Amino acid sequence: MDMQFSGEFSVARSKEEVFAMLADPQQFAPLLPGYHSMEMKDARTAKIRARVGIGRIGGLATTELSLVEAQAPHRARYTGRGKLMQGVYRMHTAFDLHDTTDGGARISWQGKAELTGKILSLAGGGIRGYAEKQITRLIASLETALSSAPEPEPAAPGGWLGRALYGLSDVSATEARIEPQVAPTPDLQAQRAAANQRIQALLEAPRAQVKPARREDERLIKGKGLFVDDYSPAGLLHLSVLRAPYAHARIVNIDVSKAQALPGVACTLTGKEIMELTDPFIQIGAGATQQITDYALATDKVIYQGDPVVAVVAESVAIAEDALQLVDVEYEPLEVVLDAEDALTDRVALHEETGTNTIFSGVYEYGDLEQAFADAAHIVKIDRLEFHRFGSTALEPSACVATWDPRGEIDLFANTIMTVPLAFLAPALRVRMDQIRLRTHDIGGSFGNKITNYPYLTLCCLASRKMNGAPVKWIETRTGQMLTGGHGSERIYLDTEVALDRNGVITGLRSKHIDDIGAYPRYEPLGSVIWSQVLPATYKLRNIRIDFNQVVTNKGPSAPNRGYSRLPHIWFMERVVDICGHELGIPADQMRLNNYIGEFPYETPNGCVYDSGDLPAMLAKAKELVGWDAWQKKQAEARGEGRLLGIGIGTTLDSGTNNWGQARYVNPQAPFSGNSTAATVKLDLDGTVVVSLGTFPQGQGHETTAAQVVGKVLGLPPELVQVKTGFDSLNDSHTGQSGTYASQFVVTGLSAAHGAALKLKAELTKLACFGLDAAAEDLEFGVGDMGPQVSVRGTEQALNYWMLANFINSNSASLPDELRDLSLHARHVYMPPFKVPDVEKKIGNLTLTYALQLHICVIEVNPDTFQTKILDYAIVDDCGTVINPMIVEGQVHGAAAHGIGAALLEEIAYDREGNAISGSFTDYAPITINAMPELKCANRQSPSPFTFHGAKGMGEGGGGPLHSVCAALQDALHGQDLIIRHSHNSPMVMFDRFAGGTEKGVTVESR
Amino acid sequence: MPETLPTAAVRVTVNGKPCERQVEPRQLLVEFIREELRLTGTHIGCDTSFCGACTVLLDGAPVKSCTLLAVQADGAELTTVEALEQDGQVHPLQQAFSEQHGLQCGYCTPGMFMSSLALLAEHPEPSPQDIRKALSGNLCRCTGYQNIIKSVQTAATLLRQEG
Repeated sequence: MDMQFSGEFSVARSKEEVFAMLADPQQFAPLLPGYHSMEMKDARTAKIRARVGIGRIGGLATTELSLVEAQAPHRARYTGRGKLMQGVYRMHTAFDLHDTTDGGARISWQGKAELTGKILSLAGGGIRGYAEKQITRLIASLETALSSAPEPEPAAPGGWLGRALYGLSDVSATEARIEPQVAPTPDLQAQRAAANQRIQALLEAPRAQVKPARREDERLIKGKGLFVDDYSPAGLLHLSVLRAPYAHARIVNIDVSKAQALPGVACTLTGKEIMELTDPFIQIGAGATQQITDYALATDKVIYQGDPVVAVVAESVAIAEDALQLVDVEYEPLEVVLDAEDALTDRVALHEETGTNTIFSGVYEYGDLEQAFADAAHIVKIDRLEFHRFGSTALEPSACVATWDPRGEIDLFANTIMTVPLAFLAPALRVRMDQIRLRTHDIGGSFGNKITNYPYLTLCCLASRKMNGAPVKWIETRTGQMLTGGHGSERIYLDTEVALDRNGVITGLRSKHIDDIGAYPRYEPLGSVIWSQVLPATYKLRNIRIDFNQVVTNKGPSAPNRGYSRLPHIWFMERVVDICGHELGIPADQMRLNNYIGEFPYETPNGCVYDSGDLPAMLAKAKELVGWDAWQKKQAEARGEGRLLGIGIGTTLDSGTNNWGQARYVNPQAPFSGNSTAATVKLDLDGTVVVSLGTFPQGQGHETTAAQVVGKVLGLPPELVQVKTGFDSLNDSHTGQSGTYASQFVVTGLSAAHGAALKLKAELTKLACFGLDAAAEDLEFGVGDMGPQVSVRGTEQALNYWMLANFINSNSASLPDELRDLSLHARHVYMPPFKVPDVEKKIGNLTLTYALQLHICVIEVNPDTFQTKILDYAIVDDCGTVINPMIVEGQVHGAAAHGIGAALLEEIAYDREGNAISGSFTDYAPITINAMPELKCANRQSPSPFTFHGAKGMGEGGGGPLHSVCAALQDALHGQDLIIRHSHNSPMVMFDRFAGGTEKGVTVESR
Repeated sequence: MPETLPTAAVRVTVNGKPCERQVEPRQLLVEFIREELRLTGTHIGCDTSFCGACTVLLDGAPVKSCTLLAVQADGAELTTVEALEQDGQVHPLQQAFSEQHGLQCGYCTPGMFMSSLALLAEHPEPSPQDIRKALSGNLCRCTGYQNIIKSVQTAATLLRQEG
């Protein structure tokens, strides 16, 4: 960020006197705001310590101030540079002196400041005001110093302003002054007492023994969840990370000696050490991508702002953070690449070992494009569309506590969300996978983002080993999270051409897409194929060519984010449909009815099978919910009054349960295909039914629904089924693809639990046949006087679960030989019926289920300020058979909030030097309760033919609001011949784009 | 061992119990509650007063405990989520959030409770607009807020019935 300031003032001193003072660093430096101390490096250069900060946050910063120009008695010029709060700054100040008519001097000054680094995001929009204030203070103290005697009313405006605004007469005195705490007045005390009494009265309300609606609520509503930060074993150490202030720079030198010397610091870790202790993380991509060396800390250079450079481990977070300030890192800044098209040229290669920024480049082509375009009645060309960078920013940041005991066993309590990171972690740490016990408990949201927190888990493991097995905790700061902890990738769509017939039916589509995934590929190469699960979105066109590319840039590494990779593609398809509709004068609803897929199951051009649904019925339902006809009338009235009111439709797919074979489109050598998820159901020694899942729930209520499904198999109410909270690799209830991702639990997790329950039931049947001397067909599962039992239908004869468990666990001598292979510990691995896709042709069924959502948004745009207000919002979802309506509706609401937030408020933004300018919630503006409209929701149920219960995964939601809000904005603004080409439409960006008019970028050729 | 930093005494009443600790003057109130008192129901979400996960009641008023120093709370009465449950039985506010599915991951929930409690103390029959205003400083990334509004309305009804 650059800032420039200038001004002038006059003093009653001669030019020569003024110059003598300004050109002497020893006289000039003490005038700097917050001056603390100095030492002269040479005659022209001073090293100054000054107090800096905003509000009460701050510290001492070192500035090197050099007099670079001195033309007596006309001009003095200084440059300064220094670092503060993990940022760096440079400043230039020039003073030009002129005689005044009354024998004094007029001083005109210019100042320029350049800032880089985390300071910008910390200070957010406040930095300019802060800089202005500092400069006003500098000028005010200059005037004071140049006045022979303090003047009660100085003539110069700068000084007057300084005094009026900041009450400055003596800067140093101001710095030292601390306002005393004001004691509460009696009135305030009385108010507080009254408020407290009202709270106490509320707290005395009668309590009740209430059965919570979800299993998880039992602990969560009491504040008794166990999130990672709540776990603090004895002897705990804390790890903090020093992050790069530059987006791209070579690391010249790192000096951790002062940090290590700080009392309370246990150890430090640097890239050099990491290179000795670990192997680079595995790479998913093919070709040159395999050469990328990705370690837990930056080694020779940093490639995004926030890249971790040094870790400090200390007895408290505060000491670790203090120690980070004592680490000296010397950088040599390099040219940055922030634009996807620029990255594609390889002008500057981020990963020098590969020589290219391209991670994936491939063509997805189906049908006959030439014929489609030759036959087209209309061809619509859209030069560019852009999908922006945003993240779901779970409220709980990434975190872990790692304990690497001296015997070589690693206990990793973390909030990661799938087992895949274990496959990254174990080889990097050079350990066997069984040495790592990975466990989770409560997780405060993830939305995909936490998949890539494994570099920090690696750091904590190493730190624990270095400290002889002391547990080491890392809690990501919110700023760290915003810089690096889960950005959804950006995508641009270039040179799109759409062929349509006379009725507006899309018959062909070709386009070039570039995904910008930030600095490190990690999980992202899979994003190069995952979008193709929804290749034609909800439309019946058969001729499609997408030239897909994925590049790295000097921005935070992206990670899966709710709607991962499919959402940006569906958004593109929805924009295409709306833009074509508007250009051809076909209403949005008709455009969809003309193009929707009709019959399900439907096989897409690339071999995916959409399982079930009825799109026209969903549209009709959503129109009814929102009051479509009434809004059409209101829209006509609004337009008559010059108001901008728009109605938009968004149709979206949530593809769930991946066929991992699609990874082979990215890397033909990838040893993945199909999908597998495990679960165990056992009878414990006392006969309790205990379920262990292979998932990492983060609020989706897996314990609740698993108990429902297992209970149903065994004829038990859910409360008699225990489901272990979270993931634990010691439960042996996982596979290499277990996890909570890709809208799959309802299919994979519940199918695994269902299968395990059936296996347990089969064993119980055998035991009961023996114990009750009955035939299997006469047995009945249920609950009796002695709890869960198996009984002989129509008799009093029954064995409860304790007795059955006892046969195996404590009383086996009475068992016949043929029952001695039972374990009452059933493990089931669910494997959907996938085939390996055809890698050459890129054809295959890539996901098992396709939940559908249809959104309608009514929005009004202020024509002057581009502020928006959602006036009405309706959603119809169809996720097949619903297992738990309450949980499904909760997911629909949550996904809608993320989409509305992303469309109108939330953006992870960078300036042209690669500074992250949305480094805190204040700058990022996650959606609050005030920005959420009331949602009108309805549900249709088209059971999936491919799952045992007919349910489909639906947690990601498909980002419906990004489509519907953009469509509604398009509808509102189309009268002004404006096209919505961006997924992010905050008032500020719309004002910038539209207030000065804009190039439409769309052409239509009709025959 | 670290140098001994100067400490200050903090005396507070937390959920009705008097507590006294010697703390570093720079210790945040939320750290005091979580680390010194081991009341981990109060969560930290953003470090910058935005998200409200750390909201507690200080002399009856909702405050973001990541933005106060522990020493600033000296002499005050604090209320945290742990005050709601008594003998295994839950407060109507807790009951309402569970019934209406006003929580998913549960990370924001304790802060939501505290802000809601302060609202209900002033407005026994809050309108949706009152609820939005009172919870505008509490972020939830899971629920989309709709069920939170319903939860607070349900809590108000339960409290009126019982009061």
